[in-house]
Amino acid sequence: MSNLLPLLIAALLFPGGLFALAFGLALKGADRRVAARLQGRVGPPLAQPLFDLIKLGFKRMMAPDAACETVFFAAPLTGAAAMLLAILLVPISGVYAPATLTGDLIVLIYLLAIPGVALMLAGSSSSSPYGAIGFSREMSMMIAYEGPIVLIAIAVGLRVGMASGSSPTFSLVDIVAYQKSHGALLFDPVMWPAVVAFAFFYPANLGIVPFDIPEAETEVLEGPLLEYSGPALALFKVMSAIKAVVVLGLGVALFMPLPFTGLIALVGWIVQMLALMLIGVTALRVGTGRMRIDQAFVFFLKWPLALAALSVVAAAYLTVGVAP
Amino acid sequence: MTVLDRLKDLAARSPWIYRINSGSCNGCDVECATTALIPRYDVERLGCQYCGSPRHADIVLITGPLTIHVLGPAQRVFAEIPDPKVTVAIGVCPISGGIFRESYSICAPIDKYFPVDVNVPGCPPRPQAILEGVAKAIAIWRERL
Repeated sequence: MSNLLPLLIAALLFPGGLFALAFGLALKGADRRVAARLQGRVGPPLAQPLFDLIKLGFKRMMAPDAACETVFFAAPLTGAAAMLLAILLVPISGVYAPATLTGDLIVLIYLLAIPGVALMLAGSSSSSPYGAIGFSREMSMMIAYEGPIVLIAIAVGLRVGMASGSSPTFSLVDIVAYQKSHGALLFDPVMWPAVVAFAFFYPANLGIVPFDIPEAETEVLEGPLLEYSGPALALFKVMSAIKAVVVLGLGVALFMPLPFTGLIALVGWIVQMLALMLIGVTALRVGTGRMRIDQAFVFFLKWPLALAALSVVAAAYLTVGVAP
Repeated sequence: MTVLDRLKDLAARSPWIYRINSGSCNGCDVECATTALIPRYDVERLGCQYCGSPRHADIVLITGPLTIHVLGPAQRVFAEIPDPKVTVAIGVCPISGGIFRESYSICAPIDKYFPVDVNVPGCPPRPQAILEGVAKAIAIWRERL
């Protein structure tokens, strides 16, 4: 029982559940507001994503006649639940460390794949041809960007494992602890290719321009989300809001945890997340157009994969070189 | 004021817009897409957002005189929009047929087929008029929530 209460608090209040949802919605709101300002518009209020959620709660929920309704309504539930679980595994340096029984980096990478799978199920069960196109595009994108993130994780694991022991470590708590005592991996030349690869990975995982090909509004009318309405669509919005916190939080934990504790650490973490969102997502999506699926596919299998592999090789070489 | 009323007030700040072009000459669509609603006058400050799918929509903008060919598809798309919804007719064509009136191939006035809530006359209407029409539609939509 003594283990259960902190876990429940972490799952429902902080840093999971309510906090993650509120922070994710705030990140989305800041993104929309700043994007509008960059385009010379006034933009919506910061709380706009929250208004959208409340509105969707009042709308009628419909499903197409030809849809497989069980899968159609299970998909958003699965995606949102996976993200609520994933946020538990992301440490906030100096504020929150996930309990050892909940899992590590490898579990987190598996959980991060579930929203993509949920979107694929949504698209394929909706019976809409646009949903089917979105499904195939989502699958291509996942094949393209899952490789780099696995290699990035291996590179970080090797690098941290080399310094603190003999074998690679995939515990996010150990990775954060190592960086607090040895300096952030962001300033480690061996990790620079992996950092660049991650900078390409997270816009693709969050599904924004130029990598929002599966949900391209002007081509496939939001693809997998086309047939969703009301509360089911709201669940997808919840999923993507929490996913933003998980993916950006993963980036902060892997490469730049702050060496503080308490309130300063929390404020610093929020500032870091906001900076990642505004630079890597907002500025990118305002400044670029959408890629074609073949361009994005080749791009990810060429550059981020090669950069991440370079970091793995460099980290492995150093490990062998330094070990007695 | 109950909690439900408060929630409805917040919900009314997020009206999503869907456009149906029912055989318009594209003049009104240009006003909607490029002048009134997105870059210059920015309807997103009212919380509005264009959506690609009728299933996400709250406010429907209909332009054009409703040609006979497009009548069936337009009615099907309109039925796909989940309640509560509000209809705004943009331009003079939906009211009388505009320059196409007395043509053999149009069904205008469109309120024979769609429950029009707000009319924004003009050929094409000024951006400010379209924005006022959307604002009136939001007020009507709040009543229906």
